[in-house]
Amino acid sequence: MTGDVRAEFVAALGADAVLADPVELRAYECDGLTGFRVVPALVLLPRTAAAVADAVRICARERIPFVARGAGTGLSGGALPVANGVVISLQRLRSIIEVDPVNRRAVVEPGVTNLDISRAAAPHGLYFAPDPSSQQVCTIGGNIAENSGGAHCLKYGFTVHHVLSADVVLPDGTTAVLGADSPHLGGYDLLGAFIGSEGTLGIATRITVKLLPKPAAVRTLVADFPSVEQAGDAVTSIIAAGIVPAAAEMMDAVAIEAVQAALDAGYSRDTAAALIVELDGPQAEVDIQFAEVRQLCQNHGTTNIRVAGDEHERALVWKGRKAAFAAVGRISPDYIVQDGVVPRTLLATALTRIGELAAAAGLRVSNVFHAGDGNLHPLVLYSEAAGELERAEELSRAIAELCVDLGGSLSGEHGIGTDKACSMPRQFSEDDLATMALLRAAYDTDGICNPGKVLPTPRLCGEKPGVHRPHPLEAAGLIERT
Amino acid sequence: MTALCPSTVDELGAAIAETAATHPRLLITGNGTAEGWGAPARPADATVDTTGLTGVIRYSPADMTIAVRAGTPLAIVQQVVREHGQRVALDPARAAQDATVGGLLATADAGPLRTSHGSLRDLVIGTTVVLADGTTARSGGHVIKNVAGYDLAKLFHGSLGTLGVVAEVVLRLHPAPRAVTTVRVPASAEHGFQVATHLVTSGVEAAALEWCAGPDDRLLVRLEGTPDGVADRVREVSADGATVLTDDEACEEWSAVAATAVGEPGDTVVRFGALPAAGPAALGKIRAFADDLGLGVTISSSVPAGVHTVRVHGGAARAHSHLLAALHDDHHANVTVLRRDGLHTSSAWGPPPSAIRVMRAVKHRFDPTCRFGAGRFDGWLDDEKGLS
Repeated sequence: MTGDVRAEFVAALGADAVLADPVELRAYECDGLTGFRVVPALVLLPRTAAAVADAVRICARERIPFVARGAGTGLSGGALPVANGVVISLQRLRSIIEVDPVNRRAVVEPGVTNLDISRAAAPHGLYFAPDPSSQQVCTIGGNIAENSGGAHCLKYGFTVHHVLSADVVLPDGTTAVLGADSPHLGGYDLLGAFIGSEGTLGIATRITVKLLPKPAAVRTLVADFPSVEQAGDAVTSIIAAGIVPAAAEMMDAVAIEAVQAALDAGYSRDTAAALIVELDGPQAEVDIQFAEVRQLCQNHGTTNIRVAGDEHERALVWKGRKAAFAAVGRISPDYIVQDGVVPRTLLATALTRIGELAAAAGLRVSNVFHAGDGNLHPLVLYSEAAGELERAEELSRAIAELCVDLGGSLSGEHGIGTDKACSMPRQFSEDDLATMALLRAAYDTDGICNPGKVLPTPRLCGEKPGVHRPHPLEAAGLIERT
Repeated sequence: MTALCPSTVDELGAAIAETAATHPRLLITGNGTAEGWGAPARPADATVDTTGLTGVIRYSPADMTIAVRAGTPLAIVQQVVREHGQRVALDPARAAQDATVGGLLATADAGPLRTSHGSLRDLVIGTTVVLADGTTARSGGHVIKNVAGYDLAKLFHGSLGTLGVVAEVVLRLHPAPRAVTTVRVPASAEHGFQVATHLVTSGVEAAALEWCAGPDDRLLVRLEGTPDGVADRVREVSADGATVLTDDEACEEWSAVAATAVGEPGDTVVRFGALPAAGPAALGKIRAFADDLGLGVTISSSVPAGVHTVRVHGGAARAHSHLLAALHDDHHANVTVLRRDGLHTSSAWGPPPSAIRVMRAVKHRFDPTCRFGAGRFDGWLDDEKGLS
């Protein structure tokens, strides 16, 4: 990148909004998927939507690839920078512009965290439904990019179901409003196509989200089962009974051990599987169905049912569940979080096969998953120091591809990003991928908007990703990873 | 006119590829229930008749998903899944006329259940489409939670047959409610909005909250759930003057809602979206305008969503066009004509949305020679240019 272009970014955004110092740039070299690292040429920190458009316009004119970034919590390398490209961080666009309790919506900037939307809505008895585990830090802009779900999406759906409109900066630097004040609008659902596009179609700069009223009643239980299969059967029978739980989550013994070691969330240490079932809705419906759920768990051999007695106990159950990934870090030096989906009825088959793959690889796998919708989060435990990284990556990839072979998907919520782009041909034909590329080209003619993500490219997939080595400064303790 | 009548996706792809030179202009048809949507299609060289593309491909009751060929009427799908206590949570008026699943996706149609379940955009988890060169492309899949790749179904939602042919659709299902009760509350538009808002925020979780006008103004509250739960919630909803309807009475009311969306020969039917709180004023304006013009109107509004369907009847054709123009002035691109018998020369579409450039770019990439549905988005898509 020439000094002229850099000067132009400085002129447009201000000197304090352009980072070029190599040490500062390193903070942006990866997202939550730390195995892939690229240091960008520049990081831009615009303060306004207009500044985002200015930055993109310069990129478009100069054909400079750009990558939008929120909190950097993504787990698929969706915010991995491009060498010689720029990262456009949305961290400074963090105003909650409006909370409108009458129309039950909020207008926010993309850098606002998921949880802050619900906090701002709480005085009105409202909340923002998608609740990914990272909700304290992840941003709504990132949620839009990834079409984030969370534990409660079984009943409430994903980000795409909760966004009404978005002002976006398109990859040519022009702006458009996608969506409208109501779900009815003429023409193609361009907003729906944008959400979940992993930052490859443009940058959302102002977002109108739906807010839901807090349910009148919530009841939560944790049922222990002697096997993951029995817990899975219990979920199937609950759903077959016509009950749509707000959430149905499962953890296996390894995950429970990790959670209990990290924080005492009250899970039984001696059980093979813990199933969390949460119902919410009108009091009368919840009471009736909660009794049915207890009965169904008993029919499937639960050994213990713990009912959250109050809001504090309920919060503790969820704190344990949402901390599960991080907690695994206490029992394994390194781990990979996988994210595949299988038809729920094949959960038991998938878990057996994952167990076989893990045994063959000589590695441990812990299973945490959204049992209601078949979204698995196998955690592949390994030690980089012991030279197990490559084996772990292979096992992780094999698990994702197993999900596809069972009629499921490579990803339920973490996205394809850099991580799984090369596995896409496993799930989609050449024609499927070529058609998806048509959509991308319609938004991004020059291919500068988060290139290399989602769709496989020969350059990406012809080479093996480099195994990360710590930077010398890092090894010397002079810089840290964020 | 030539009709391509494929019965498999492969036949569909082949027929479209083979006719590229001989039949450059194609009109996609299903059971013909949306002929009046949007602007009139221009004459085509052939129709792509999807009514032979029917049947269930795969139904997994325990997974609550079903894959069907797109020419299958929604009503048939409902019959199949009802046997397992399930449903597609979608109740568009056209379902009773055998509207196909593909046609409902292409029109973005929905009924009163949009209040709780949205439209097909929210229920489709996978699609197979055939493009202008015969390419067959899938997106999504058979699982409800899935973020792999772009979601092409969204693009086809509301595309009115201008991007390609929807060939197969995978739907997520919901449990059929064990009990359903409808409560009728006499209410002006303003009062109906207030009652509906109160019910939403009280957490009663109504499946539908539909305000209807003509002849009487009333709010219909549909509660679905377990028998005891619904009975309990009905008590919460019932206020002064509210009537708990018998099944027959409820059926009559919901049929009237459907009749508004379908209209009668000679009518104009329009659907528009607005900020929910802006609904009462917008509807008041329409009724006053219709009075001045000597037009009759019946209205059905999904209040919490801010989606309004207006049937205009009687009066002069010019008056129908005036009313539509007034709606375009106020609600811009968010107005769709569903029946245009009453209109003569006026344009069906209002000013294009700010994202029109993206819509045109998508059209250009997917259908560069404008084979499909020329005229449907008259004024928004420049169909003639594509053929030159």
